[in-house]
Amino acid sequence: MSEPWVPTVDDLRVKMCYICREEERYDVPAQAKTKWTHPCRCTLIAHESCLLHWIQSSQENQTRIERAFKCPQCGADYEIESDNPLMLRLLNKLNKVLTSTGKVATLVGMGTTIFTFATCIYLMCTSYGAWAVREFLGQEMFDLILTEDPTNWPWHAYLNLPLIPLSLILSRTTLWRSTVSPIVPLFLAWPTTLPVREKRLDPQAWLRIQRAAPPVHPLPSLMSWPPAPIVATIFLPLVQNVYRNLFSRFHHWVLNSEPSSELHTPIFPWRLEIRFGQDAEDAANEEAREENRANERQNREDDGNQDPVAAAERFQRISSASVGRYIGGALLVPRISNFMGSLLFRLSKHSDLLRKFLAIRPPLKDKLDGFSTGEVGTVSDLGQAVKAAFRVLIGGTRTWTEADPVWWRNSVGLGIFVVVKDCVSLLHLYLTKREIQTRRVKNKSFKGIDIRELDLILPPPMTLF
Amino acid sequence: MALAHTRRLNKELAEIHAGTPVGINLVNADTFEKWLFTIEVMGTSEYEAKKFLLMFRFDNTYPISAPAVQFVVDDTHKAPVHPHVYSNGHICASILGREGWSPVLTVIAVCITIQSMLASCKKKEPPLDNDRYVPRAPENPKKVSISLMVSPLLA
Repeated sequence: MSEPWVPTVDDLRVKMCYICREEERYDVPAQAKTKWTHPCRCTLIAHESCLLHWIQSSQENQTRIERAFKCPQCGADYEIESDNPLMLRLLNKLNKVLTSTGKVATLVGMGTTIFTFATCIYLMCTSYGAWAVREFLGQEMFDLILTEDPTNWPWHAYLNLPLIPLSLILSRTTLWRSTVSPIVPLFLAWPTTLPVREKRLDPQAWLRIQRAAPPVHPLPSLMSWPPAPIVATIFLPLVQNVYRNLFSRFHHWVLNSEPSSELHTPIFPWRLEIRFGQDAEDAANEEAREENRANERQNREDDGNQDPVAAAERFQRISSASVGRYIGGALLVPRISNFMGSLLFRLSKHSDLLRKFLAIRPPLKDKLDGFSTGEVGTVSDLGQAVKAAFRVLIGGTRTWTEADPVWWRNSVGLGIFVVVKDCVSLLHLYLTKREIQTRRVKNKSFKGIDIRELDLILPPPMTLF
Repeated sequence: MALAHTRRLNKELAEIHAGTPVGINLVNADTFEKWLFTIEVMGTSEYEAKKFLLMFRFDNTYPISAPAVQFVVDDTHKAPVHPHVYSNGHICASILGREGWSPVLTVIAVCITIQSMLASCKKKEPPLDNDRYVPRAPENPKKVSISLMVSPLLA
């Protein structure tokens, strides 16, 4: 024996778990076989299950998360062996990067907000709204409906546009999840708007164009393809709800969990931690009450809850919640849908079917210029006017029906993006859950510890001396 | 595992019955929700010949989370005047917070820490923000909000 004998946790006469304080004597077999571990450099030992519970609860505690994998006494690192594939590590990294970018965004946002007046915010929201409309409807439609020059805008654009970013952000909270879809505000009032460019013709001429039903698209009906914007606006929340239902079922099937585990998702996924100094006594009292409620909720969560799915969800919520990330993500929706739309457009060059589905049409420019405004004369047919009004209501103005429906492929693209994003975060959740489930604490020998400190079953062999 | 905290408290109680450090005495441990101890500082100190009543309250997350510990303040008992003890009995000690607590600690270890916190006191004075803290603090010290705890920094 050249190496000195080093005892392990199994050589102890009495084992006492530093967490639950249960004891186990070597000569009295335990009723329930539990695994013991010596995870660090000091004499503390523990049941593996107790230790994993402690680590897990530390990980969910913001103030302790840094030391979750360290011995509270000697500070040695716990070595955890678990199913932690490269994919999960990459996803965790990505999560961290996104969160820290979100934090930077929060700081920048705070700075600007403090020094910006309400008018500035209004202007920002309006120009964001205009940008979002251009991203979502495409340049051509934008030039027809809004144009770059604000003096051309219809009066309601000044109400509609600034509301776009606000509704985008609101739509991300669970409060609105089932009722409002993020893109509804983008085209809500637009289809029925008198296009700016057509308006610049005299009203008589515009009416004539509207009435002269062109042979290409006779009467826009409810069944036309792509769906008329009004129809899409009505059906979108429906599609969204069906999708959420199906995906939630898929989610629980993948994670093998009960639907109840996401019961107490807060309306706002982050807890607002920015506090301003307050001097009113009432405010403080109210705050204390609120904190009480928060603590109660925390207690319920701490309550010996070792369900790995719930733990993975909490862990992810903690590590990915940041105001900047949420708002930034919401405001990027038009850009993302534009990107996905042009991706689909590019793909459609290789597939007839896709081109039909996306209803891609040549730019409107050539057609509009070719319209003759003569011939129709001054027909004062009431029926014709009603028909024109109905057409506008169902299908939008002619411009809307005949232009290349960029909005349609952008909506489809956004849908695809949402599905992919949901799948990736589900994969992340699944891998996190599996990582938690497969955790094992590495058991180490008592190397480096004075053997005389340990209460051993057998005395150390004399070869030591 | 619902009974984990009672089993652990039972173990600790057995150790306490076997003997407690000088100056620390068990008064009442009839339930596993609330224990009472008397704390006395031995030797010469600011608190010579004074006995304080220390109350521990446990929920079923113990020992994963800390017990709620405070001095009893009523008709017969007072909290010690100490820079880390508010006049309502709440104690400002890192080991009792979410950050400093760990299951290595025990009820007796907490008693010893508080005893030595009193013994090492140089000047008997209440915490700087005592007047601000006490009227706003909830009854249970574990439910104190973070903004109330960092108030000395803001004051």
